Amino acid sequence: MNSPTANSVLPPLAFALLLAAIMAASLACGADEELPVLEARAQEINKTVMCPVCPGESIDQSQHPRATAMRAVVDEKLAEGSTNDEIRQYFVERYGPSVLLEPPREGLNWLVWIVPPVGVLAAAVALYLVLRMAVRSSPGADASPTGVSALTDNERDDYFRRIEAALASDSDGERPSPTGRESQDTGEAVAG
Amino acid sequence: MLVDAGYVALPIALAVGAYVAVASFLGAWMRAPVLVLSARYGMMTVPVLLAISTLALVYAFVTHDFSVRYVAENSSLALPQVYTWVALYAGNSGSLLFIATVYAFLSVVAVAGLARKLPYTAPYATSVMALVMAFFLAVIVFLANPLERLAIAPPDGQGINPLLIHFGMFIHPPMQMMGLISVAIPFSIAIGALLAGRGGRDEWVDLGRVWGMVSWTILTVGLLLGSWWAYTILGWGGYWAWDPVENSALMPWLAMTAFVHSIMVQKRRGMFRMWNIILVSVAFVLAEMGMFINRGGPVPSVHSFAQSTMGWVFLGFMAFTLIASLAAFMWRINTLKSRERLDSMLSRESAFLTQNVLFLAVAFITLWGTIYPVFSEAASDEVITVGQPFFDRVNGPILLVLVFLMGVGPLLPWRRANLQNVLTILRIPLAGAAIVTVALIAIGIRELVPLLAVAVCVITFVAIGHEWLRGSRVRHRRGESYPLALARLLGANRPRYGGYIVHLGIAMLAIGAIGSSFYAVQRDYNMALGESDSLGDYLFTYVNFDSTPHSDRIEMTAQFDVSKQGRDIGSLDARRTFYISHEVAATRAAIRSTPIEDFYIVPSEFTESGGAVFRVYVNPLVWWMWMAGPLFVLGSVLALSPRRRSVPATLPLPRGVRMAGV
Repeated sequence: MNSPTANSVLPPLAFALLLAAIMAASLACGADEELPVLEARAQEINKTVMCPVCPGESIDQSQHPRATAMRAVVDEKLAEGSTNDEIRQYFVERYGPSVLLEPPREGLNWLVWIVPPVGVLAAAVALYLVLRMAVRSSPGADASPTGVSALTDNERDDYFRRIEAALASDSDGERPSPTGRESQDTGEAVAG
Repeated sequence: MLVDAGYVALPIALAVGAYVAVASFLGAWMRAPVLVLSARYGMMTVPVLLAISTLALVYAFVTHDFSVRYVAENSSLALPQVYTWVALYAGNSGSLLFIATVYAFLSVVAVAGLARKLPYTAPYATSVMALVMAFFLAVIVFLANPLERLAIAPPDGQGINPLLIHFGMFIHPPMQMMGLISVAIPFSIAIGALLAGRGGRDEWVDLGRVWGMVSWTILTVGLLLGSWWAYTILGWGGYWAWDPVENSALMPWLAMTAFVHSIMVQKRRGMFRMWNIILVSVAFVLAEMGMFINRGGPVPSVHSFAQSTMGWVFLGFMAFTLIASLAAFMWRINTLKSRERLDSMLSRESAFLTQNVLFLAVAFITLWGTIYPVFSEAASDEVITVGQPFFDRVNGPILLVLVFLMGVGPLLPWRRANLQNVLTILRIPLAGAAIVTVALIAIGIRELVPLLAVAVCVITFVAIGHEWLRGSRVRHRRGESYPLALARLLGANRPRYGGYIVHLGIAMLAIGAIGSSFYAVQRDYNMALGESDSLGDYLFTYVNFDSTPHSDRIEMTAQFDVSKQGRDIGSLDARRTFYISHEVAATRAAIRSTPIEDFYIVPSEFTESGGAVFRVYVNPLVWWMWMAGPLFVLGSVLALSPRRRSVPATLPLPRGVRMAGV
């Protein structure tokens, strides 16, 4: 296992190549279609502005006449040379900040942006601490600070041989638990 | 007559449900087997009673009995007959009845299994299930009775919401609702084991896992069908918009995904006992949240066709669930101590835990974004919207990390791995990812995010493919043909290989999402009959316009002849149907789908002569998303299928090393 033969490496790599070919073919089709700059910008804006009469849908998605009219306004303003932000601001002045699908980054609305990354960061730190604590308090854990396994090379080779063997036999994953934890509460049942 | 029988059956079912909830709990608590048995038999009658009510409602729809208010409000004589069979979940009270009926059947199956396998836990679990059932039935009987009669029957009904007239409607709404309610079953099993004081024995884990998988599969299929419905009907070329109702179905799915993984750790290692109970409780509360948002919650959404103030009742029940399960948890927390410990930071267990935390992170970010507008309005009177761009930006990176873990996690051994053997295992998948990345760069893909995302998916594909190949090769050497070797391999450890099949599906889903979110091209064309235009390699000609009036609607169909790179690929029909009584139009996009890309035309309003603005999309790789659906079902069924009586393994392992099976 530690030195896979060419025989066992080639097929997956060929598979990867096949995947690459499919994706390359499709992405290449999409990639060579360049929209005019203004049109691309218009789509970019349309996707961030909500259609005020069809909640939750952008003016890009919605087929409501109001959305069509708003798309026309976007095209017009782009042709006049407005920037993307100016156009969005124009809609905010008319419909209020809820017209933007992405909350503006100001005032209280910073919260909506800050909470997720801070939360994920906190969760990651907590996860790390919990894992470290759990490993430290584990009687069988080795004392090495990195927590890296102290298996010897021999044991490791043996381990991989066993994976191979297990793949071939039907027994993988179906062994009875050595601690007998899976015993059922048959016997003095209430109403069984 | 049948309608009246159905009407009467509802309060009876409610009474039985309430009795079961109380009797089952007291019977177990006071050790009174008679009470427990009577509760169990009571539970068996509920599906029968509810089946009568459901049949009555279907019958009322099929026979156009407009004296039933719900039938009058949600169908009309013009509704195609085939849709009358499924119109019962077009509105609020009918879908509640449907939920309750499905739930009653599921819980009877669950109770039967519990009574056989977990006699101590069963009465408590039954009680929790019946409590949930009684809540739904109370809402139906007192707030939203679908079989209520009108004083005077109108001659014709108001008709169904036209957006619902689609093949997907046969499956998506019921699947979605079944998915949400089915979370109650693993939840009840877990809480039942907790109440019985047996949470610390891992006996509930097998049934909890099975019902967790069932629920997960239904939720998955429901979500995928919903996306497919949006893609073909809503006509914006997309399939997922982070709409509040979509989010509310996604959140319990995320929590269940975490649960069906971490429950494996308890099964194998007797760890994460508290964590699993917390996870499944969170999943159920999120499922209730989903029903709340769906049934008239505070957040505006494209799914607004089923709104009512009943949402607040659901909110109350959600709060009750949260408090009650927390109380049960605190009460029994001393039974949940685990003797097993983590051996290493780098192991299957820790990968599972990381995966759990990330899934919950996505769930809570989604929750946060979904309810933030309500919060903001309350705090500052400022109404704002949190839409797709926010969710894409915030959840996208975490989902990418999850796909990476999906590729790597199953390769890690239980208990402990070290960096070097992980790298050894990863050598081939990483090489595959590198080859694909280089190939993509060579053809001119330069954007970092899609390159990274594709590489991460390829790791999964190659890792799984490589393992299957290795396993099949070993069998092949013993004289089995390759197909047989693969089939036997997959059959040998079904939870593991079922999981792999689901993972392949997820990677395909990710590939579809990457292709269509980064490389879709769209353009609007104002075309009159006979004109031609092109987008990318596609040339399309508007050859025919047809406008057919029906009694309730006008169907306008534009026919296009399409060729790609000069090769004719046939004709496509893009349809727009205007429903006169509702003054709403529904579109049906013309889609030519291939594994490489979808070509998609959707019309907006037509003029008299058939001129219209057509939006045309080229959506790469979307096909793969829909193909993932069958893999999810296949993988789940394989993972759940009863195992053969296995030959006991005879491999002694070195201390500290366990087999890399799931």
